[in-house]
Amino acid sequence: MDQQRKHTILMVSDFFYPNFGGVESHIYYLSQCLLKLGHKTEPDLNAFAFKIGLVVVMTHSYGKRTGVRYVTNGLKVYYVPWRAFLMQNTLPTFYLTLPIIRTILIRERISIVHGHQAFSTLCHEALMHARTMGYKVVFTDHSLYGFADVGSIHMNKVLQFTLADISQAICVSHTSKENTVLRSGITPDRVFVVPNAVDTAMFTPSTCRLSCDEIVIVVISRLVYRKGADLLVEVIPEVCHLFSNVRFIVGGDGPKRVRLEEMREKHSLQDRVEMLGAVPHARVRSVLISGHIFLNSSLTEAFCIAILEAASCGLLTVLPDDMVVLSEPDPGDMVHAIRKAIVMLPSIDPYAMHQRMKKLYSWHDVAKRTEIVYDRALQSSDENLLRRLPRYLKCGSWAGKMFCLVMIVNFLLWCLLDLWQPVESIEEVPDLVFIRNEHEDVRIFVFLRLNGFRWRGMDCSQWVFGDAFIPSSGSGFCNRSGKFQWISEVAFIFRRVFDLRQRIRFRFVFRNGFGGLRLFCFVIALLLCVLNSVRFESGVSLIRMLVSFD
Amino acid sequence: MSEAPIFHSKYSYHHDGKAQQLDIHEILVKRSRLGIFLSYFMVVVFLGTNVYFVTTKVFCILILTFFEVNIRSIWSILVCFLLAKFLHYNPVKKERVVIMPAFGVQLETHYWSGRIVRLFVPISKILSSMLNECVTPVTCYWSLALLLRDEGELMLVFQLIRFVQKLQPPLKMLVPVWKALRAAINCEETSIT
Repeated sequence: MDQQRKHTILMVSDFFYPNFGGVESHIYYLSQCLLKLGHKTEPDLNAFAFKIGLVVVMTHSYGKRTGVRYVTNGLKVYYVPWRAFLMQNTLPTFYLTLPIIRTILIRERISIVHGHQAFSTLCHEALMHARTMGYKVVFTDHSLYGFADVGSIHMNKVLQFTLADISQAICVSHTSKENTVLRSGITPDRVFVVPNAVDTAMFTPSTCRLSCDEIVIVVISRLVYRKGADLLVEVIPEVCHLFSNVRFIVGGDGPKRVRLEEMREKHSLQDRVEMLGAVPHARVRSVLISGHIFLNSSLTEAFCIAILEAASCGLLTVLPDDMVVLSEPDPGDMVHAIRKAIVMLPSIDPYAMHQRMKKLYSWHDVAKRTEIVYDRALQSSDENLLRRLPRYLKCGSWAGKMFCLVMIVNFLLWCLLDLWQPVESIEEVPDLVFIRNEHEDVRIFVFLRLNGFRWRGMDCSQWVFGDAFIPSSGSGFCNRSGKFQWISEVAFIFRRVFDLRQRIRFRFVFRNGFGGLRLFCFVIALLLCVLNSVRFESGVSLIRMLVSFD
Repeated sequence: MSEAPIFHSKYSYHHDGKAQQLDIHEILVKRSRLGIFLSYFMVVVFLGTNVYFVTTKVFCILILTFFEVNIRSIWSILVCFLLAKFLHYNPVKKERVVIMPAFGVQLETHYWSGRIVRLFVPISKILSSMLNECVTPVTCYWSLALLLRDEGELMLVFQLIRFVQKLQPPLKMLVPVWKALRAAINCEETSIT
């Protein structure tokens, strides 16, 4: 094995910390485990050192959280200042993300781009640009989607475009693989199944065993149709009626919460059904260990991490035969399954379950399997544009041609960008080592960057410049009418672009001979603009006055 | 003692250490002649499109098509102005950092016109110097900044932002300056304690 790192991976998704969810935690845990794996292949690092740059995450900015941040163990995250427009998704601009993605890919010496979640626009754009530039790409799909409604049809077409020319794909379960293959038309032999895992260190059973006198059934999920909240409304009163010693704890929030509250009122189950509302992830474990059985009533799930978390805490739930009780999505069947679970309960040992979970599902295992996928991706051949285009043509009679056109334009823009900003002018990031609790200097260095200290003026003026000249921000020239309004617009923009300290630079233009010519031109230009924006009659009379030789 | 200069695209780095106890770091910026020519050409073009209609008496009548002239002129002015600025508005000739041990740091900006802007920061005011990675919607670059006591904002050592034109010296030129600044600040701290 050579001393160079094997892979440098760029994880791209719209969804990352500080947003919380399945995809976000998947990316985070997978990146951490890949860092540890990479760390093992670097013999010159001690136990406290992690090489920064083996795995880099790219996502869009969340509020004020923008720029480069470092999370645990030196995982570098680029919060690119593109605004989210819908449900944490970046505005799909097709080609505008090409410069920043190219810059990041070159400066971090990336070898593989790994995109997550079909719903993420940034992921699709990044994969498209990465393919144009010749990088190997891997895509992981985390959810199941339908085929019938308008949103799904559109999403599936976009997915077909992205997966037409992908190196490898990963799905989190066999059902998910089937769903992805049917939606996108990709060949099944290029799809790997790597299941998710659970952080068993965080989800441990309770130290004291709960008594079986009163059985507590825990439900934690978003209360939406897809998660079977309607089934819950039917099942809970039935079970409470059949078993007098059963209590329910329902955690989570959503549109169906109202129905559950109504059910509680109707059957007077306030003392037997406890509604917790939205439960922050840090508190999930404490809620789980207060119960004996975990009930999951989802209609569809690509891979349910919640079930793993519950099993890791020692609750009886859905897993290998002796840990599982399955049922149809029908209230009667669910009640029957709960009865079976209650009967099985005394023979369950939470700690034994936890140990089995530890062996079966671990993020280190997921990272190793993902590395195999990366190895396979790197082995695929390099192809130029002409050989890749026929794959897009297969996507559909009209869509195929449109996709080809999109890729050709992308290629041309990339060539243009290469001329404008050659690869040599983009500096590669030096190899940095993140050391924990070591040398004071390094700690200060990293500490400041962890806090994301930014010169407000710098970020502001970069962003404000873009803001000031894009009409959507409301400062477009054509929006206002009336004379001399243009002047105030220009002044407004200049005031925003320069802060107080910068004005001294601009004042230079007016002070010396060399800038005099520019000044003269500027003044003339301004005058012309004034003349053009004044009203017609006064403008003509003004002009007549200026040019009259009488 | 001065080290060999470092060159990278349009920037060059020179270091003159131990000249009268001062540590001087300079980054020089080259101007491209094509850029200058194109910028003045653009200025001439937009002047031409507008002056043509305004100063010639005969063509006053064409201003009757008021609306077209208005939009076209503003648009042409905007585009030419932006292009001129974008291609060449870089009056900076060189940026100089003079480190006076135990006294302070002087940041100088020399312009092509001959004007020099100086900023002095006493050593007691500086907490630390740092290299920042700045991410914008289209690019990512390094900058060197000073963290000052009692101030909420960082002070940039190399004034990177102009109107449209950006001065972005590469990292390998910023690192020696950063190291020298840190050495000066650390010496000061150890001498106090």
